[in-house]
Amino acid sequence: MMTQFRQTAVKLFTLLFLVLFIIGCTPTAKEEASNNQKIGVLLVNHGSRSSTWRQVLMDLEKNVQSRILSGGVVKGTKTAHMEYTEPSIATQLKAFDAEGFTDVIIVPVFLTVSPHTFDDIPTIIGQKVDPQSLEVLKIEKIERYTPRAKTYLTPNLDFTDILKRNVLRRVKEISKDTNNEGLVLIGYGDETYDKEWGQLFDQVATYVKDSTGIAEHAYGWCGHIVHYNSDSTTAAINRVLNKKERAVVVPVLVAHDETFQVKIIGDGIDKIAKSDEKVIYRPDAILPDPNVESWVVQICDEFAAKVKNQTLTER
Amino acid sequence: MSTNSFTRKLRRFNIVTHRDVGYFFSALVIVYCLSGIALNHINEWNPDFIITKEEVDLKQTFTRENVTPELVKQFGNSVGETTYKVYDFPTNHQVKVYYQDASLLINLTEGKGVYERISRRPIFYQSNVLHRNSAPAWKWASDVFAVMLIVINVTGLFILKGKHGLGGRGKWLIAAGALPPLIVLIINGML
Repeated sequence: MMTQFRQTAVKLFTLLFLVLFIIGCTPTAKEEASNNQKIGVLLVNHGSRSSTWRQVLMDLEKNVQSRILSGGVVKGTKTAHMEYTEPSIATQLKAFDAEGFTDVIIVPVFLTVSPHTFDDIPTIIGQKVDPQSLEVLKIEKIERYTPRAKTYLTPNLDFTDILKRNVLRRVKEISKDTNNEGLVLIGYGDETYDKEWGQLFDQVATYVKDSTGIAEHAYGWCGHIVHYNSDSTTAAINRVLNKKERAVVVPVLVAHDETFQVKIIGDGIDKIAKSDEKVIYRPDAILPDPNVESWVVQICDEFAAKVKNQTLTER
Repeated sequence: MSTNSFTRKLRRFNIVTHRDVGYFFSALVIVYCLSGIALNHINEWNPDFIITKEEVDLKQTFTRENVTPELVKQFGNSVGETTYKVYDFPTNHQVKVYYQDASLLINLTEGKGVYERISRRPIFYQSNVLHRNSAPAWKWASDVFAVMLIVINVTGLFILKGKHGLGGRGKWLIAAGALPPLIVLIINGML
């Protein structure tokens, strides 16, 4: 009787052990999802007809790719242009889907908030249905594509102080006599978020002024908000020249585009009398910048870790 | 076939070509002209869409933290929208609510917003779609149209003979017509 009881107890214990062992070995839903996960990174830029501009953005991916992939979490990177030329966002998202990626971290290489980052890109990837974006995308023949992979949008470049440090470095490279110079920042501008753009440019200028001793600043726009006209550049330079002998003009644009840095801003400078003496200008851009590259790597690492641990909601 | 007979046939062919190609493309000429005028003034108006904007005063301020789906529904009530698609925060003090063909951008710290409704501008939207080659494959039709405009133009030059033809007043009027663009290019130092 005792032996029989002991045998039954051993059987029950063994069964219990096996059940617990199987439960312990079965991956949780989270672990299973993590095992099947394939995370990609898509660097999205505005796009341009300028091949110089596009090349800089392609170089950005080339310069960050190995560092992003070295963590082992991200399995692939791609670059997409929102407008004008291929590869488009839709093309690259289709490629990610075809390669079996489950999650795509989208890094908008844009300066700050604008309808492009806030409405257009989310509408293209199927996260939003902004009515104005929908219509404009049709007219511009920009394809919308909702990928099978989950998508996550990271913040813009203004999220950290890299923009401030970038402009400071470029001012220091061309400035000759800070006591007699004023700072002029020229950016693309935006109608909808004009206040935010103004605040950002004031913050950047204040940072540069505090670090260099330059006392005056002004900013102007060269994008759609001023119909790509050079008058805003001229007006900003004149505001500074009313108080200082020379103006240091810095284009706060992502990359070099002949239409903006040479034609629009250049024309704006040419309208200034004795511009050769009064204006210091180099038609450069935010990129290339190792700090921007580091930021891209860092934001990708952060997002990839969150995606892997499933602590990030699709966005 | 005598030279006279050949010339007569050629002239007849020229007139028929001018007449029939002209008839065929007349609608498209008008479409492109309308669209051309519209797009010429793109800086002064939106030739594609009618965007109506309405200022909204919510009479109180909010913070990002207290924006809930329920509150977003209430925002919609103030502009006559009963259902929204999605909402999002462009900045920490702004929320944008998306509706069918409309959106509402609210400044939370001011308690004010702008309600924007978009609709296609009749005739102009469709004309501009064609003129800008926004429709798939229309580029080729547009190229054919451009070549045909040259045909209409050139055949038109040879319709009349004599003092009203190309050899008469025609050549002077062609020269006069070429002057305005030339003058503009010379004045702007582009020649």
